Amino acid sequence: MSWEYEDLVLKAVDYALSLGAGYAEARYHKVARSGVATRNGEFIGLEKSFREGVAVRVLVGGALGFSSTDTLTWGGVKTAVDEAFAKARAHSKLMKHPIELSHERLGRASYEALEKKKASGVSVEEKVAYCADVWKHVSTATTTARVATLTMSLGESVEEKVVANSDGALIRSRVPRVSIWYNVVVTVPSKGTVQRFFSHAASGGYEWVEKWDVLGYLPGDVKTFERIILEAVKPPTDRPVDVVVGSEIVGLMVHESCGHPSEADRILGREAAQAGKSFIKPDMRGQRIGSEVATVIDDPTIPGSNGFYLYDDEGVPARPRYLYKEGVINEFLHNRWTAKVFGTQSNAAARAMDHASEPIIRMANTYFKPGDHTLEELIEGVKYGVYIKSYMEWNIDDERWSQRYGGLEAYLIENGELKHLVKNPVLEITTRTFYSSVDAADRNLEFYAGTCGKGEPMQGVPVWFGGPNVRLRNIQLRVIA
Amino acid sequence: MSELIEVGVKLRDRALREGFEEAAVLVTHTESLMVKFANSEPSVVQRWSSREASVYLAKNQRLLGTSVPVGSLEEAYRLISELHSLHAKVPPSMLYAPLPEPEKPQPLEGLVDRKLIDVLHDPSSVSEAVVEAALRHSIDYFAGMFQVSYERKALVTSKGAELEEEATSLKMYIRSFAGEGSGQWALGSRRFDLQRIEEVASTASRLAFESRRQEDVPPGKYDVILSPMVVGNLFNIVADMATASSILMGASIFVNKAPGDKVASEQLTIIDAPRNSELPGSTAFDDEGVPTYSKPIVEKGVLANILHNTKTAAKFGARSTGNAGLIFPRVWALEVLPGGYSLDEMIREVREGLVVTNNWYTRLQNYIEGTFSTITRDAVLIVRNGEVVGAARKMRIADALPRMLNSIAAIGREVYDIHWWEVDTPTRAPYILFREVGTSKHTA
Repeated sequence: MSWEYEDLVLKAVDYALSLGAGYAEARYHKVARSGVATRNGEFIGLEKSFREGVAVRVLVGGALGFSSTDTLTWGGVKTAVDEAFAKARAHSKLMKHPIELSHERLGRASYEALEKKKASGVSVEEKVAYCADVWKHVSTATTTARVATLTMSLGESVEEKVVANSDGALIRSRVPRVSIWYNVVVTVPSKGTVQRFFSHAASGGYEWVEKWDVLGYLPGDVKTFERIILEAVKPPTDRPVDVVVGSEIVGLMVHESCGHPSEADRILGREAAQAGKSFIKPDMRGQRIGSEVATVIDDPTIPGSNGFYLYDDEGVPARPRYLYKEGVINEFLHNRWTAKVFGTQSNAAARAMDHASEPIIRMANTYFKPGDHTLEELIEGVKYGVYIKSYMEWNIDDERWSQRYGGLEAYLIENGELKHLVKNPVLEITTRTFYSSVDAADRNLEFYAGTCGKGEPMQGVPVWFGGPNVRLRNIQLRVIA
Repeated sequence: MSELIEVGVKLRDRALREGFEEAAVLVTHTESLMVKFANSEPSVVQRWSSREASVYLAKNQRLLGTSVPVGSLEEAYRLISELHSLHAKVPPSMLYAPLPEPEKPQPLEGLVDRKLIDVLHDPSSVSEAVVEAALRHSIDYFAGMFQVSYERKALVTSKGAELEEEATSLKMYIRSFAGEGSGQWALGSRRFDLQRIEEVASTASRLAFESRRQEDVPPGKYDVILSPMVVGNLFNIVADMATASSILMGASIFVNKAPGDKVASEQLTIIDAPRNSELPGSTAFDDEGVPTYSKPIVEKGVLANILHNTKTAAKFGARSTGNAGLIFPRVWALEVLPGGYSLDEMIREVREGLVVTNNWYTRLQNYIEGTFSTITRDAVLIVRNGEVVGAARKMRIADALPRMLNSIAAIGREVYDIHWWEVDTPTRAPYILFREVGTSKHTA
């Protein structure tokens, strides 16, 4: 572990205070990655890289300065502190609302996520052979269709940080992660193609690769994609129907339409020119957004999760955040700045992608609280509708109100039974319609991995999002023509 | 020998001593500053200093790579040694081709503007000018950013290439809000020009004001004029699909096309423009040391070039187009050639349609078929009988890229240099009128 830079971090904080900063924070941050990439079972390349450096934030006259360097000497870090201080001071005259931070009980702790089976202990031959084996089984899985392309990569990373600030925080952490990413294209030249991008990722070790079992499920998925091309028909779009939404889509929906709009910096307009604003206004806590079934939680502390952490990058201890609770807007995601503005406490959402990034408010692992049904019961309760299990296309407007999901694997439901495949159904609804139309959720809780983008420069941070399968009543579907 | 070349030589020589047959080392030193605004005031001033090396390594047709900070080279040496111990454990790469013999790229003039380096050290007067220009109009508030960068790069290869270049760049965008409306505009340049910076803020504020009162427009097929912001976003995707790697990976509408095939309206020419030194992204040589040159991707509606490095070129039986990244080819900068229309003339061509000034969150259902949707953000102007009559609330464009490329009716004669979040490859583009574009909206 890279605790050797702790002294540099502490010295940076002291030096910034000596210059006259009202607040100072320094973070040593290293992300080491390695991985193999393949196409159609053939090896492309192997990469093993790392980035490390020190990030500094200071408050001077109510202005916030950030500076980053990868020169890990006192000279390099001192220059970074000088730059952050000077640039903040030069802009303090433009500040109409000087930035202040909330008072918090900050941590002094060390933690790490555990690898049951070290990814670095698995040979590169085994990783390359695994990708080749997946191709072998996937490429022979179909009868009529051809699997044109399977691009696949298998990666691992270790993120190490030392965070210190002038309010007393000192947090050391180490989080290893593993991931698999693939893009598969199935084609019947006279009829079209189906494409699936998908990724798995988690904190921990190679045990996850074994658990995901891509080799076990992807040949079956590819057969389904072949059936979509050959058999799927237009979904019902002539009248509103009931829709059972698969956990994969539910996870993305809560990330996009609950997690993002609950970010307090977005609510306050700090990301207005980038990821946008929020339909949630500062005074909307307590307002109803959905049915009583709709509870959405964001929890950084889930062991093994992709968004795992126990203290945020401002030193605040992490805890589960109940963003929507039984259909009511309940809690925002806060850092110490937004907590001060809202007169509350931070709930530890400040996170930075790497040493070149400022900590900003981020989700960790966001999920829809499971209910008490089974998937079979959800479907049995539908007279006429559609079950959308997975998706490809999606987007949401910059206030997180109007969202769209293009279904990939989807089935017609008639009289409580799954019938034939339907092609390209589109769920295009508002956030209120989604949460208000949920009448039941099943007991499953599945998580899906993503890299959430936000900030300027863009920061992609690892997250999970998930949930159960849920049932929506009376939804007008569209279709991709 | 410059300090960067020296670092490159050390890493290359170390790799060869370890036993690698080939090495290419790209060393960059970047100094950068960004002032970010929200609610009409600075939200943070960010400053970066980084020196990094990306290293390409090959032996017995095995490809390996690393990227590392070069503050200290010991870790880089350790990684190179570790990669050498791994090389025999992987199979030959499907993409292997020898590094090219060195050529002598013609240096690009005008990549550095010392005024931008001055702003890097003292940005506050530009910050003040941005605030003043944005608030000159009747708006509620604005957000956005400007970023100035000074980058030096050096490339050293085992074939003997030792190349250097330095460049400055400016990237900025402003989003203004007024009533129900908002407007956003952007700029990417290698030069400092305060007037252009102020125009970005001013354009954003004008669009916000023009869209301050909005109405719902029902989804359907419309003639749509896309602004250079939107053209930049969609054509960034199209250009990336023209790289050989996108085609190999099954992520391109050009998978089943070849140069010479008609893919767009005759009026459309899109150029990969690394020799346009006014655009960030311009460079004289690629990451394999091959001299860059400007070349059409689409020329008068015909697919003209797939973008290659030497590796993908070998795979496709083609020649490198000077678009190498260390492993995969890349687009440097884009130019969409202008047409003959003014924006007003284009609007007069529309009986019932829209002017979409900005978009975000473009996602594809199927990269080979090109089916996608994207959401409008900021001013959407309603056009009826050749006149702007109001502003519309947000909606989606939901269509297919191949169809849209073939539905171009008019191209504007003014071009704008765009670079922002959703236009990652700096792009010079005009307004373009597309016929019968599919739009969509939430059903409830």
